[in-house]
Amino acid sequence: MSKLDNKKMLACCANGAGSSLMMEKAVDKVLKKYNVKVAELRHCPVSEGKSAARNYDVVLCARTFAKNFDDAQKAGTVIIPLKNVMSAKEIEDALKAEGLLD
Amino acid sequence: MATVLQKIVENHRYCFVDEEMDWKEAIRRGCIPLVEDGCVDPDYYKQIIECVEKYGPYIVFDDYVAMPHTQENAEGVKKTSVGLMISKKIVDFGEDEFGDKKEAKLFFTLAACNPSEHIDNIVQLTSIFTNIPLLEALAKAESGEDILKAEAEFPCEEEE
Repeated sequence: MSKLDNKKMLACCANGAGSSLMMEKAVDKVLKKYNVKVAELRHCPVSEGKSAARNYDVVLCARTFAKNFDDAQKAGTVIIPLKNVMSAKEIEDALKAEGLLD
Repeated sequence: MATVLQKIVENHRYCFVDEEMDWKEAIRRGCIPLVEDGCVDPDYYKQIIECVEKYGPYIVFDDYVAMPHTQENAEGVKKTSVGLMISKKIVDFGEDEFGDKKEAKLFFTLAACNPSEHIDNIVQLTSIFTNIPLLEALAKAESGEDILKAEAEFPCEEEE
């Protein structure tokens, strides 16, 4: 069992159409590699994600948007800011650093 | 099925620019092939510029790649499509708030109104944007044929 099994994950970008979708696909690649089955993985714009974030266990975003999720972070959501939203490697390393992947 | 790059060439959704441009001009020029092919309205570029002004140059990735876009079902989008502008000069987007220089030569402009086609485009673009030899070959391209040759020479890995 991975710590990410049955967790809810959200990827956010400005418009919810470009880089958040890229992040979702990159996350999906990492989850498959580790054979993790999350309860939910979706993407949306930051404007929507800001209030929805606290209902998710993990939120990924380009690092420029991380500050939008301070409240969710206080409520216990793990925020993962990324330099390169397409990098499965960066996502994998970040999830490991948070202790969510072994 | 045709790849994103094949569709760009088949539908003439590409252009080349030799002279220097500021980033706003680059976004406007990058939209022109999509305007000419009836994919977006002539004013579509204004929404993209507004987004960058609001959120910063987050549409510029590593390796001189930019992906100008707005949201799905944005106003003025008629066809889900990708356009490619190859700028011979580096376009400067300044620095982001972390002090990283944001520069681009390849502009993959997105228009989206059909979610499944759009997802397919994004998946393929992710493969292109992480294929450095292909990006380098595209930056040197001077014709549609060069674009196709670049892809044939440096194919992207197939997504399962």
